[in-house]
Amino acid sequence: MRSTTTRDTRPRIIRRPHVLGSLAILAITPFALTACSGGGGAAAGGDAGTLTILDYYNNEPDKTLVGDALDRCADDVGVKIKRETVPGKDLIQKVLQQSSSKTLPDVLMLDNPDVQEIAATGGLSPLSDYGVDTSGFAKGILDAASYEGEVYGLAPTVNTLGLFYNEDLLAAKGITPPTTWDELKTAAAALTEGDTYGLAFSSIATYEGSWQFLPFMWTNGGDEADLTTPAVAEALQLQVDLVNSGSASKSVINWSQADVNDQFMAGKAAMMINGPWQIPALSADTNLKYGSVQVPVNKAGQTPVAPLGGEVWTVPVTGDKDKQAKAAKFVECISSDENQLALAEARFTVPTKTALAEQYVAKVPEMAAFTEQVANARSRTGELGEEWPEAATEIYTAIQLALTGQATPEEAFKQAAAG
Amino acid sequence: MTTTSIVTGGRQTRRFAPVGPRRHRGDRRHLGYTVLGILILAIMLFPVYWMVNASLQPSGNTLTGDFFPVNPSFAGYEKAIADQGGHLVTSLVISLGTVVLSLAIAAPAAYALAQFRFRWISIALLVILIAQMIPGIVIANALYSAYNDLGLLNSIPGLILADASHAIPFAILILRASMQTIPPSIVEAARVDGAGHVRAFVSIVLPVSRNVLITAGLFAFLFSWSDFLFALTLTTTEDVRPVTLGIYQYLGSQVSNWSAVMATAVLSSLPAILLLVIAQRFIAAGATGGAVK
Amino acid sequence: MSSGIAGASLQDRKTDQRSSGTDGGAPTKRTPAGAGRRSRRFRREDLIKLGFVLPAALYIVLFFGYPVVKNVTMSFQEYTTKTFFTGEAPWVGFANYVTVFSSQLFTPALLNTALFTAGSIAGQFVIGLALAVFFKRRFPLSSFLRAMLLLPWLLPLIVSSATWRSILDQDSGVLNAALGSIGLSGVPWLTSPSVALFAVVLVNIWIGIPFNVTILYGGLQDIPDELYEAGALDGATGWKAFRHITWPNLRPVVSVVLVLGVVYTIKVLDIILGLTNGGPANATQTLAVRSYQESFVNFEFGVGAAFSNILIVISLLFAIVYLRVNRRAVDE
Repeated sequence: MRSTTTRDTRPRIIRRPHVLGSLAILAITPFALTACSGGGGAAAGGDAGTLTILDYYNNEPDKTLVGDALDRCADDVGVKIKRETVPGKDLIQKVLQQSSSKTLPDVLMLDNPDVQEIAATGGLSPLSDYGVDTSGFAKGILDAASYEGEVYGLAPTVNTLGLFYNEDLLAAKGITPPTTWDELKTAAAALTEGDTYGLAFSSIATYEGSWQFLPFMWTNGGDEADLTTPAVAEALQLQVDLVNSGSASKSVINWSQADVNDQFMAGKAAMMINGPWQIPALSADTNLKYGSVQVPVNKAGQTPVAPLGGEVWTVPVTGDKDKQAKAAKFVECISSDENQLALAEARFTVPTKTALAEQYVAKVPEMAAFTEQVANARSRTGELGEEWPEAATEIYTAIQLALTGQATPEEAFKQAAAG
Repeated sequence: MTTTSIVTGGRQTRRFAPVGPRRHRGDRRHLGYTVLGILILAIMLFPVYWMVNASLQPSGNTLTGDFFPVNPSFAGYEKAIADQGGHLVTSLVISLGTVVLSLAIAAPAAYALAQFRFRWISIALLVILIAQMIPGIVIANALYSAYNDLGLLNSIPGLILADASHAIPFAILILRASMQTIPPSIVEAARVDGAGHVRAFVSIVLPVSRNVLITAGLFAFLFSWSDFLFALTLTTTEDVRPVTLGIYQYLGSQVSNWSAVMATAVLSSLPAILLLVIAQRFIAAGATGGAVK
Repeated sequence: MSSGIAGASLQDRKTDQRSSGTDGGAPTKRTPAGAGRRSRRFRREDLIKLGFVLPAALYIVLFFGYPVVKNVTMSFQEYTTKTFFTGEAPWVGFANYVTVFSSQLFTPALLNTALFTAGSIAGQFVIGLALAVFFKRRFPLSSFLRAMLLLPWLLPLIVSSATWRSILDQDSGVLNAALGSIGLSGVPWLTSPSVALFAVVLVNIWIGIPFNVTILYGGLQDIPDELYEAGALDGATGWKAFRHITWPNLRPVVSVVLVLGVVYTIKVLDIILGLTNGGPANATQTLAVRSYQESFVNFEFGVGAAFSNILIVISLLFAIVYLRVNRRAVDE
């Protein structure tokens, strides 16, 4: 069928080279441009005097606070630094990518429960290789950073969990901050009124939920090696009771610690289990009068044991002996007395050198309860090492089962262990 | 060609004629639709409103806030504008590059798969569909190693190439679906006139497929604009940082500045919305241009 | 489907006869007469046709081929964090798949994946189509409103999930507050195992509507008005017009939207993680969530890869169905 186009298409055709040719050029261009693009791989810093660093302090104020400490050490050790920051939950993914392409940084920050997992791969070098002095540090954090007897990293500061309370709300009811579980239950019940719940905590289906459960479990004598003991079930029963009695919201199973803090600051919870990193936000609200105490114990006489949080600085195996030595010095410098106190003051965390505790509390009295708690704190991986993630998963699975009423605490842990 | 065969579809026929002037059946009816449209939009966009509300609250969340931000605080916006301006430009450049690249690669392929008679079309389609099924993280990990070796990390072309992986398979599929309905007679007519495949493609097929090309380009832009995975994986410094990654500046592992996050989200939606409105105008009523009688 | 080769030479002969020395596009070169001419031009034409798909083929092999092969091999290996450092990954055959299938969470995750996908697609498609048909009319502000409809798609998922979590909060969420104001009791959207999946599906529908509306709208726009006018002459208006004109003409686009919808929805991860992390009590666990958690929370990458390969196989089944349907449509 002969047809005519009503529009003359000729002027619309731009004289262009053969299509294949132009597409080929398009395909090659990015590769040609790589010659121009700088950047390259992380380890391409061939400059012997530059150390690459990877951490997850990607937002303010931590980014600057830690950055200052890193800069100080760069001056001390006499190196330049090139720093990369990534969002917290993506750090491990980055570490794994970099390890498979052999581009690990010279100094690597890891969250303390991850250290043993990474050390077990052989990707980190022991600090004893470089004669780094690890004495004077709190036992818990050294345990977390140790694998098969060797210490792989140092943490300048740590944090833990405590019980925050709204001074005004407690004073209005004439309640003193609880020290035992029974007192906690009574206080929470009394403080629940209208929109406000007595207590808020995080039981979310992630490691954060497990983390928040640990103080209660450990204080009661429970142990992660065997989660089916009555001591552990009793700890979970406490949470179940609080939620069932209405003293704590059912939404705890969906709350992260950040959500818990939001609830507390909004006056929707009179008490909360949380950590000192919330203090800057809490203090920013001048209308909120808060206090903190150690986590309550089950029976009087028990020692409150809380989990250790905090990040460890390690020296990955990059193959460059000189750089690794420099990196080790760098890591040592980050945890020097001076830096520990500076970081601790600025970030509301606790110095890891036990000798500094008194000095620290004198400077930052709000941290008294937490500093005391750290002395008895326990690391999550201290006992189980690489097996910790499984245990942590069982814990939050059991918590979720029990809090949604699908199982009693004992059954919940049994079910979780089976899955 | 009988009316029934046109109506019942089957072998698709496309007749083009200049569209006559629309007869307005009374403004009142049209305004009624407008009201209904606004209502629908209000329901659909309520969460967006809630997000804007949160961005204006001093606390950054809506727990203490009211339904309306009675005491709006623009702190989040100030911070967002100060920090993210450059990132927005980066995102824009990458997204536009992705559109160009994706359409350049997908359009010819879609046309070939729609109109040429290859024996292996089914296999090709299957491959394209499988490509869509691969989890992004798998691709990201593979690309990281490759880019590291090629020096493509922290580069805009690198991100364009990577983001195109969202768009190309999808574009091929919807372009093909539309190009299948182009009657081969049109193309044959041009070829009979002496045009080669390429010229026929450029001067006949592309103009006729304008609507779906714009739609495909739109989605290529949106896929690329909202990509986070490749932005995170394929950059190690702040040199090239799309806004999706920039948002994480406000989301720390322990402290989050939600009002800045929400403000950034609002700000980053604005350029995209603008482009969308402009592009939507081009998806005009019916097929226009070129006519075959 | 006629063989490509025969078809090409047929067309070739036609062009040969009709074109007479005109500057008809770049490819046709004048060659000396003879038997060689036809076969050379035919090969050249074939090359050009292949050239249309070559860039796409190259791209797909480079950017998808290697990752998919890697994912499949990874599922047969014991791939842990150690592997990233040492490169060693012992072959374990089907052990990972056994772990997957015998895990307590597999059946619930599979069921949830099916429910989540079916529910999301049904909701997104129906509402999307309704909105597309609605917006086909031209009324003041229609193109602006249509553009604004794309907003949910534009928001970063981290923001959407945070916003929805706030809206769906049992105690202080605005949705329960609204329900309360009309006398209904609050629903435990994200805290009750029986409601959580439904809530997550609702949010996913909300996110997916813009995608469906835009593509279906584009498809609707391509249906020429004459069809409707001709149909109206025959008395087909309203619902009849939809059934006899709109729907058949929209079929290729609809099948693309549905198949792609399934492929995308099955993979959905971020919104579930953002809203519930797979909880409460694993009520919103899907295969995609399991894959992520196995890989990045438990560092068992082989098992995670096994999960995602199962997802790919399921998507593949849908894809094959699509191709069957599509081929039938072409042959009609």
